[in-house]
Amino acid sequence: MSGLLAKAVRDERRALVGWGIGVAGAVALYAAFYPSIKESAADLQSYIDALPEAIRNIVGAGGYTTPAGYLEGEFFNTIGPLIMALFAIGAGARSIAGEEEAGTLDLLLSTPVRRRQVLATKALATVGGAVVLAGVAAATIALVGPPFGLSVPVVDVMAACLMLALLGLSFGGVAFAIGAATGRRTLANAVAGGLAVLTFIVNAVAPTVEWLSPLRPFTPFRWYQEPEVLTGGLHVANILVLGGIAGVSYVVAAFAFDRRDLTS
Amino acid sequence: MSTIVEAIALTKYYGTSRGVEEVTFEVPQGQVFGFLGPNGAGKTTTIRTMLDFIRPTSGSVLIFGLDPRADGVRVRTRVGYLPGELVLYPRLTGEEYLRTFASLRGGVAWPFVEELAERLLLDLARPIKDLSHGNKQKMGLVQAFMHRPDLLVLDEPTQGLDPLMQQTFYALLDEERVRGTTVFLSSHVMPEVERTCDRVAIVREGRIVTVADIGQLKAHALRSLELHFDGPAPSAAFEGLPSVREVDAHGDELSLSVEGPLDAVIKTAARFTVVNVETHEPGLEDLFLGFFGTDGAAPAETDREDQS
Repeated sequence: MSGLLAKAVRDERRALVGWGIGVAGAVALYAAFYPSIKESAADLQSYIDALPEAIRNIVGAGGYTTPAGYLEGEFFNTIGPLIMALFAIGAGARSIAGEEEAGTLDLLLSTPVRRRQVLATKALATVGGAVVLAGVAAATIALVGPPFGLSVPVVDVMAACLMLALLGLSFGGVAFAIGAATGRRTLANAVAGGLAVLTFIVNAVAPTVEWLSPLRPFTPFRWYQEPEVLTGGLHVANILVLGGIAGVSYVVAAFAFDRRDLTS
Repeated sequence: MSTIVEAIALTKYYGTSRGVEEVTFEVPQGQVFGFLGPNGAGKTTTIRTMLDFIRPTSGSVLIFGLDPRADGVRVRTRVGYLPGELVLYPRLTGEEYLRTFASLRGGVAWPFVEELAERLLLDLARPIKDLSHGNKQKMGLVQAFMHRPDLLVLDEPTQGLDPLMQQTFYALLDEERVRGTTVFLSSHVMPEVERTCDRVAIVREGRIVTVADIGQLKAHALRSLELHFDGPAPSAAFEGLPSVREVDAHGDELSLSVEGPLDAVIKTAARFTVVNVETHEPGLEDLFLGFFGTDGAAPAETDREDQS
């Protein structure tokens, strides 16, 4: 089992380093922009207020006048979920389907390991990767923010980053399950990625498009950003819904993977 | 002597397309068992059910008397496997790869891994992505042999190996035979099976055509024989011989297709003045023809290995 885990972690490492640099860079860039944006915050805010509500929701309607509002709008409601979902979906799709399509899964499963062990260690590595990525985001915000006047309570940042990891893992779980059930990486990427885009849009425009409103609870984003992820504090229901999606996906993956033929 | 591999009416369909049908055979402990057939005959399908990569549609295969699915870990602990389409992790070096697999398997003596690598002239320090096809195949062999398994399952083991390394592989296999290791080896090349196996199953279009000892198989094989006389070929003298299936004369030359021993043909030929004799080792196609008769539809795809 430890050998499997070591392998799963090693497989994840390269992608993780890349995404880690990406997320740290994005956060640092937004932090560096903050002083100049703050100066023209009033103008910017009035410009944003003039936008249609649906657009405002999509771009992250944050109040640019406060550090928390800026971080929420620019990072936690936009680029943060994008990076985290891309990482988790990629890792989830790669876990089983990636190895299967590459042709390396055969030899791995010819050793005395159970399919479920392989699945569990790969899931663990993806969860670990998401947590590390969220940690990198939190650390960058905590360290790089203050010099640019972007000071937010560290506890809030950590809570928001935890939710960010959970949001990513809910989509990563879908990719993981589809990959484990079908062995098709592109399908896993496409379905999970499509779902992420679709639910993001539904969540964003639901407040203004009446017939979409009933669908909003079915989007992971609703459970990520209501109340506000950075200032609203942690909510058990939100954690349970997002964690639950990932958990159910894992169970589906284990069930389907155990029962099917490997593709060759 | 216990049975190591036992297939009982093993049938596998992929959707509606045929994998194998009603495949039944037994491999006793210590035997080197060849699974011989053209590509697409169902060799790899059979092997993949043995390792629980795929599950039978009906029938079963037992390894060490165990179900590969229910007792997969116990089965695979004692099996060494070389896939037909070998894919390794390209970014690892040979040593990193083998150490990873050694830790997944447990019970691997590293000096033995190094010994195998040395004998196969394999450099373990190089990244796998820089290895030639033949060297990758050697990696596959090392990982299959390194834990000294009780059963070796080798899918087309010598593909990509140069002749010298094929000899080294045969030597390794012979040592395993001496140790009492059971070997299940698939091939589409008769000389390889002939060189390595005690017993062979011939598969064609998903079904086992025959299971026979190598000796029996060769006895049934069709040999093609060319006799060159110093005058017009006396084809009539050969047409009546029971072992002769086909006679074809052009000028001084006579082409014969002979089943089994050549004795009657040679004695008949001795009555004439023979300038030259050429025989060909039976290829896979000839083996099939030997079993199906010349009227039977020949397999669509066969590899004929003529060795004079």
